[in-house]
Amino acid sequence: MTAILEAQNLVKHYGDVQAVKGLSFHIAEGEIFSLLGPNGAGKSTTIAMLSTLYAPTGGDARIAGYSITRQPMQVRAVIGVVPQDLALYEDLTARENLNFWGQMYGLSGQALRRRIAEVLDQIGLADKANKPVKTFSGGMKRRVNIGVGLLHRPRLLFMDEPTVGIDPQSRRAILDMVKDLNRQGMSVLYTTHYMEEAAELSHRVGIIDHGRMIALGTQPELTRQVGQGETLRLHVAEDGDAEKLAQALRGAPDIKQASAADHTVVLNVPRAEEALAPAVARANAIGVKIRSVDIQEPNLEAVFLHLTGRALRD
Amino acid sequence: MRKILLIGLKDVTLAFRDRAALVLMLAAPLVLTVGLGLVTGRFAVGGSAGSAISDIPVVVVDQDGGRLGQALVDALTSAELDDLLDPATSADPAAARRQVDDDQAAAAVIIPAGFTDSVIPRQGAGPDGGSVQIELYANPTRPTSAGVVQAIVDEFLSRVEVGRVGGQVAVTQLLTHGLISPQEAEAAGRELGQRQADAGEAVITLRRTTGAAEPPPAFDVLAYIAPGMALMFLMYTTANGGRALLAERAQGTLPRLLVSPTSTTQVLGGKVFGIFLTGVAQMTILIGASTLLFNLRWGDPLGVAALVLAAVAGATGWGLLITAIARSPSQAASLGSAVMLTFGILGGSFISLNALPGWIRAVSRITPNAWGLDGFTTLALGGTLADVALPVGALLAMAALLFGVATVLFSRQGLAQR
Amino acid sequence: MNPRKILAIAWKDGLIRFASRSELLFFILLPLVFTYILGGGFNPGEADTRVRLPVVDEAGTPLAAELLAALEKSEAVRVDRMTRAEAEAAFDDRDAAALLILPAGFDTDALADGAVELELRQQPNNLNAQAAERAVLAVLGRVGRALTVAEASVAEADRRQPFASVDERAAYFDAARRQAQALLDAAPDRLEVRRAVTPDPVGYDPAANSSAGQLITWVFIPLLGLSGLYAFERQQGTLRRLLTTPTEKATFLLGTITGQVAVALVQMTLLVVFGALALGLNWGRQPIALAVLMVAFALASAALGTTLGAFVKTEGQAGGLSMMLGMAMALLGGCWYPIELFPEAVRTATKALPTSWAMQGLLDLALRGQDLNGILLEAGVLAGFAAVFFAVGVWRFRYE
Repeated sequence: MTAILEAQNLVKHYGDVQAVKGLSFHIAEGEIFSLLGPNGAGKSTTIAMLSTLYAPTGGDARIAGYSITRQPMQVRAVIGVVPQDLALYEDLTARENLNFWGQMYGLSGQALRRRIAEVLDQIGLADKANKPVKTFSGGMKRRVNIGVGLLHRPRLLFMDEPTVGIDPQSRRAILDMVKDLNRQGMSVLYTTHYMEEAAELSHRVGIIDHGRMIALGTQPELTRQVGQGETLRLHVAEDGDAEKLAQALRGAPDIKQASAADHTVVLNVPRAEEALAPAVARANAIGVKIRSVDIQEPNLEAVFLHLTGRALRD
Repeated sequence: MRKILLIGLKDVTLAFRDRAALVLMLAAPLVLTVGLGLVTGRFAVGGSAGSAISDIPVVVVDQDGGRLGQALVDALTSAELDDLLDPATSADPAAARRQVDDDQAAAAVIIPAGFTDSVIPRQGAGPDGGSVQIELYANPTRPTSAGVVQAIVDEFLSRVEVGRVGGQVAVTQLLTHGLISPQEAEAAGRELGQRQADAGEAVITLRRTTGAAEPPPAFDVLAYIAPGMALMFLMYTTANGGRALLAERAQGTLPRLLVSPTSTTQVLGGKVFGIFLTGVAQMTILIGASTLLFNLRWGDPLGVAALVLAAVAGATGWGLLITAIARSPSQAASLGSAVMLTFGILGGSFISLNALPGWIRAVSRITPNAWGLDGFTTLALGGTLADVALPVGALLAMAALLFGVATVLFSRQGLAQR
Repeated sequence: MNPRKILAIAWKDGLIRFASRSELLFFILLPLVFTYILGGGFNPGEADTRVRLPVVDEAGTPLAAELLAALEKSEAVRVDRMTRAEAEAAFDDRDAAALLILPAGFDTDALADGAVELELRQQPNNLNAQAAERAVLAVLGRVGRALTVAEASVAEADRRQPFASVDERAAYFDAARRQAQALLDAAPDRLEVRRAVTPDPVGYDPAANSSAGQLITWVFIPLLGLSGLYAFERQQGTLRRLLTTPTEKATFLLGTITGQVAVALVQMTLLVVFGALALGLNWGRQPIALAVLMVAFALASAALGTTLGAFVKTEGQAGGLSMMLGMAMALLGGCWYPIELFPEAVRTATKALPTSWAMQGLLDLALRGQDLNGILLEAGVLAGFAAVFFAVGVWRFRYE
């Protein structure tokens, strides 16, 4: 296996704030790697360092063999970046945007024109190429944002939370696009705080919290960490106190973890069917009404909960 | 009604929190007023509020030594002209001319030898064939000052001429009519000539008035500059208010307001009131600041208040019209800037309208700037509320007309829609 | 530093800037309008700079006619004959600096009873009114001289032997007056006016001042607006993105600056052509010198804009600041009013501004007939401004 990216002990301090505290991981060529973590975990800072925007305070990373600290220009030539916030010129058309950024990647002439046509097809905006980006919907803008990152056929694509705040259809289109690109051989570093996306897309996942990598590996490897546990979700009624219930259940036998968020109590238990009845009884006993119940097999959310005691979504 | 007030006040607060807008609302007019003040010498050390000419430096060289030469020197150094001129005498014509060349004097007056003799021939000798000329060596970079000196010398020469001719004519006529004898003629001629020259009484006199009932206070050029700049940037404020309105529409907060239990009239009324209030606040701050910083007298408070309200109303009308025409907030901003500058020049904020052809003066009447400046200068010169009734009326009429047009355009667009 | 990339950035900025049609207002339309109006473009040929003087003739006598004829020959005032109502309206509207009234009964007969009085109404503290006063007094002096002499002669004769009748007196008066007039007309010119040669003679030509001044103003403000362009790229996230491409920071700066400077040069060329065609100015005399000066000025302005960009956070702030600073520096640089009218202390202080050097250079070319050597100093100072402020601006440039 060749590693397209190898990060060693990346550290980033901003004054007193330690955003990233020693991150090490690698991404194999041809794989989709997700960096999963809640907001503020340090995902964006990590991407910023890896895309050579910020110099790391400590540590280094090699991308396609080039060091991000000593050979940034060469690194930039082989990576593609799709930032979280749109970085486009809204007054220009999609084509004009692609043309400009292509030129910034050193493409020109016939080769550039061909590439633009290909990318437009890939992102499904060939028929809207000559319309100003400001007339596009949010999802369409995000697709152009991705297209810009693809023009120069990067070997590794960084995608920083590409689906935040867009409609389900556009999100679906983007997820499918990522899988497509990967099938064609592109390696992807995908950051997100949506567990479902990480679960759907990735070969390997790194879970990051407070600037540290707290879990790293394939999804089966990670869920095994949680043990045989399953996730039981108790949805509490509007006027119910989820925290109170979580508190009450925390000490109970066979309940590994209990946390509350959003009128929902999330329990990590060995067998969900067995834990259900006692949990509901307890809820009735303390007067918290339960509206509905979810049973979930081990997943990344559970892993996170297991490792941090907190829900992935705050 | 209360809601209109609330919405308006909220918008004023927002407007004054926008630091970028504050630059053009408050800083720019004050900075440019200072700039124009510096440029017109209003802030010069020892500079007077007016722009009267005084203490013109002039050098006199009397090589004549005769009666007339001395008389001219006396005239230029007389007490009457003490305020107007700052004379110096010199014995060397070349040195005097150098002073003018070095821009140390506005003019040099050089009276050559033989001047008196060329006008009044010596006893026994006939009148001189050639004439001796006084030289006025003028500084071309001070044309007005040099012109004043020239006028004074001209006046002197005129008296000299009257003296010479007067004596001659009187004596000739007396002789012709046999009222004196030939022997008396010469003596009489000199005496009469002297008397006429000295009398200096003009037969046609000029009564100078100012056309005002009382003498007005000295005119401070800043009283034209400061309102000019304030009015120009008032247009920015009202156009910016319109831009904010369009931005709210694009963002969706406007439609949200419109579906709340507040009628459309109240919402729009509140917004318009907000723009109006912002303009009034701006003008008030600028008037206050310029009064404090530059010691500027704006005039009768009632008149100033009425004029400010009317001018802001007119400017608000224009702001609304721009808002109705523009199709996006950035278009409103560009259009607003363009209108602000155009009204600035048309309305007289940069140059006096008197220098422009009549039809431009007529077109300038569509701007709040022209009417406002008229009113403010009248007030600064001592006018009262009654004296500015015309500009106030015109501005209110302008506001009413523009509000009407804007309302029609707004209702056609359906302001609630995106 | 990749020339292709520099061009690509410049082109991209051009597309964005002119994407909205209202940009044309500030690029060409308003500058042309302002240049034309301030350049006195509406007075083809000799501009009549005489002070307008409304004259109300309520006398209608030969003496009044004589006085008016003499006034009309004046070089300082332009006589405008009107009715009293019209004249007073013009005066009250401040359309006229002064107004002269010749009252009924203004004739030579009235002189016998004593001096006759004319009324001159003046706007207070008004230079033009004072000029009008001097002109009127000068004419009155000339016309009145013969009358003065004649009156005095009549008085002398009357003193020695009183006149038998009014007609006799009048005849004596007329004879005296004719003789006096003849003698006065034959009198030699006793005053010679010579103009000194002072360094840097003032040539105030409204057309040249306007063309040069507006050119500087309308090019200066958008180049200061480079500060907003940088803020825009930061706010949009595109500058950040650019830094993840294999593009050097220097390329970005060069591309952005070159683009705006190129647009400015096009703008200046258009305005110069307009000045030549519409206002008849001689801009084409020294094209190389003009080009050197324009490039130097554009660079100095861009440099100031770059330095301003280091301190400005948002596009909105940049817009307001560039307009305010641009107008103030143009004003103080002599672009709106001739710098010769400024007080001495202010004139010296404004040498610190690039706008005053640019204005000086442009007027040297258009008005004072100088060549490339003559403007090398100004171009050099402007290049110096550019060097210093580019250094500061780039050093303090914020990429985030």
